[in-house]
Amino acid sequence: MTAVLDRPPVVPRLHRARTRWAWGLGALAVVIWSLAGAGAFAGDVVNPAGTGQFGRFASAALSPALDGAFLRVLADSVLVTVAYAALGAALAVLLGAAGAVAVARTTWGRRRLGWTLSRGALAVPRGLHEAVWGLLLVNLLGLDPWVGVLAIGVPYGAVTAKVFADLLDEVPRSGYSALLAAGASRTTAALYGLLPPASGGLLSYSFYRLECAVRSAVVLGLIGAGGLGYQLLLSFSSLRWEQVWSCVYALALLCLLADVGGRAVRRRVAAPRSSGDRLRRDPALTTAVLGSLAGVVWSWWYLAISPATLVSDRTGEQLRYVLAAAWPPDVDGPLLSAVAAAAVDTVQMSVIAIAVATVGAVLLAGVAARPARASAGRRLAGTVVRLALLLLRAVPPPVWALVLLFVLLPGVLPGALALGVYTLGVLGRLAAEATEELDPRPRAALTAMGAGPVGGWLYGVLPAATGPVLAFALYRWEVAIRDTVLVGLLGAGGLGALLASRVAAFDWGAVTTVLVALVLLTAAVDLVSARARSALR
Amino acid sequence: MALVGPSGAGKSTLLGLVNGSVLPTAGSVRVLGDEVAALRGRAQRQLRARVGTVHQHLELVGQLRVVHNVNAGRLSSWPAWRAAWSLVRPQGLPEVLAALDRVGLADRVFERTERLSGGQRQRVALARLLVQQPELVLADEPASALDPVLAERALGLLAGLAAERDGALIASLHDPALALRHCTRVVGLVEGRVVLDAPAAALTVGDLADFYGAPR
Repeated sequence: MTAVLDRPPVVPRLHRARTRWAWGLGALAVVIWSLAGAGAFAGDVVNPAGTGQFGRFASAALSPALDGAFLRVLADSVLVTVAYAALGAALAVLLGAAGAVAVARTTWGRRRLGWTLSRGALAVPRGLHEAVWGLLLVNLLGLDPWVGVLAIGVPYGAVTAKVFADLLDEVPRSGYSALLAAGASRTTAALYGLLPPASGGLLSYSFYRLECAVRSAVVLGLIGAGGLGYQLLLSFSSLRWEQVWSCVYALALLCLLADVGGRAVRRRVAAPRSSGDRLRRDPALTTAVLGSLAGVVWSWWYLAISPATLVSDRTGEQLRYVLAAAWPPDVDGPLLSAVAAAAVDTVQMSVIAIAVATVGAVLLAGVAARPARASAGRRLAGTVVRLALLLLRAVPPPVWALVLLFVLLPGVLPGALALGVYTLGVLGRLAAEATEELDPRPRAALTAMGAGPVGGWLYGVLPAATGPVLAFALYRWEVAIRDTVLVGLLGAGGLGALLASRVAAFDWGAVTTVLVALVLLTAAVDLVSARARSALR
Repeated sequence: MALVGPSGAGKSTLLGLVNGSVLPTAGSVRVLGDEVAALRGRAQRQLRARVGTVHQHLELVGQLRVVHNVNAGRLSSWPAWRAAWSLVRPQGLPEVLAALDRVGLADRVFERTERLSGGQRQRVALARLLVQQPELVLADEPASALDPVLAERALGLLAGLAAERDGALIASLHDPALALRHCTRVVGLVEGRVVLDAPAAALTVGDLADFYGAPR
């Protein structure tokens, strides 16, 4: 017995977490494969002749066009963009509310098959980028304001339906069940037991969608729907750099306002003021809701939308013609191999974009985060970085691609980097917010023990920040694969470019094939991303 | 030395002033012969390395393995590259194991810290201190999450650690008996003021119980 007790303690072996290492090494391999595929190692990616033009473009940043005539044009385009965003978001909320009932678990109860099918049906509108919808709708409706509204409303409606349904399903069941047990009908029970607890979340999310719709409306302008994006592209192609910068600043301001306003509303919803014994509504929230409703009515008038277009004979005829031509999908060999090659390009672009954005976000997060105590210099640096990130995400990726084409040779790489720069703007902010929310005590304890800044960061911040930042990066990858299509539509290659060329040739059979490939690809990326995120946990 | 007083009396603030994580708004703090607030850079780090603090295990990083959390006690003497490499291949494992063995956790060395219970985490924090080898040991309620036997051992360890290097232990404690058994001097704080400063031998458990608002 004593022999057993006297044995020296056995040192446990260090077991690496195998799944995480596999995911990490796999991700590294995919990034290298993507860079190689985009020709990053093949030399000759820089175009030295373009640096002069780039210099002129960059120097115009300090002297944006401010003459009266252009400012009036600019104001008009801003209003058009806002009107599209407001109507698109309103349509999305309506579709989402109706759709939520159709896909909520509460509706289906134990009928899993119906629930799964209805969820699956949502993946199709969700898998296609707003710009793709725009491109398809333009061919159905012609140049009509409905194109912009529907292009935002339909895919957003699908996302909103899913989120609304999730919000309703997450409400604790007890109140609802009690009402059912007391003999209320399912509708009444839902109205009293499910809707009130979920209403804050629903309202928050509606305003978040409005924020996103502003960005989408700009993007739709790029493919011709009018507004700020369209103006930006016009100024760009006529090489009027001062005007381009005015547009960029207007965009940044618009995005900032949407951001700040949306966040203020969401904060108000999350922490309501107590109203005591009187029935009183939060005046700020009431103003926001009524103001948005008034905005929707104004937008309807400003864009001169008429429902007649949707039900006109011409539209119906065109729809019948396109649907007939689009089925069955084209499955001949050359097209399928072109689709496969384009799909590989698309994946590689999105991977490079996310890799660039993640590395940049990790490096910048520390500076961009607002620390509790900081010197004036540190605070200034933080403000500058946050503004730069705002500018990066205010400018849509296709415009970044045009800028990068000054100094890079055309191909997959400028598109990928453009997407990376834009995603850095989003991811940098998310990473900074994640860093702010970390518990500061471990790092403070390390500093109090005499650890240096690098050591304190490595042991006190990095381990805790890695999880959330990687989760954000993976989530943004799902968004990036959709945005890759957008950059492609405007010429950067991949499935987007293939789709644009097939639509231009009215080759509807091939269009169907490409769309199916797109939906499958985005679904696959969502799946891989979800798996990787659960491996991280 | 034991620091006693009701919660909110300023015990943690006093400990923070000593280790430099709280800056005085007025007056000055001298620790181990140096003015805390006046030091910068290397000199500040060197002083901090000589002062070790255990909080209520809140200073540990849950996502790291135990070995790294213990090794964090040595960051003041490690160059940055070594600190980084140690996250890949743990450095100085024998010392870490010896320290963990003294707190009875050697078999959990590669566990993720968040998988440990509160009491086990508190012992990891102690092991970090053993590796740091400070001259002045500050302990913010080091026994709060431990059962009586472990609390007894933890305080013994802390006092022994301070004695090894001819240093001192300042511990804020809730248990009067524990304070009297392990400390030679007891200081009582109420609303930021010292209202009691006496050798432990001159006090009884009943005297101290009054400090925590126990019924008189």
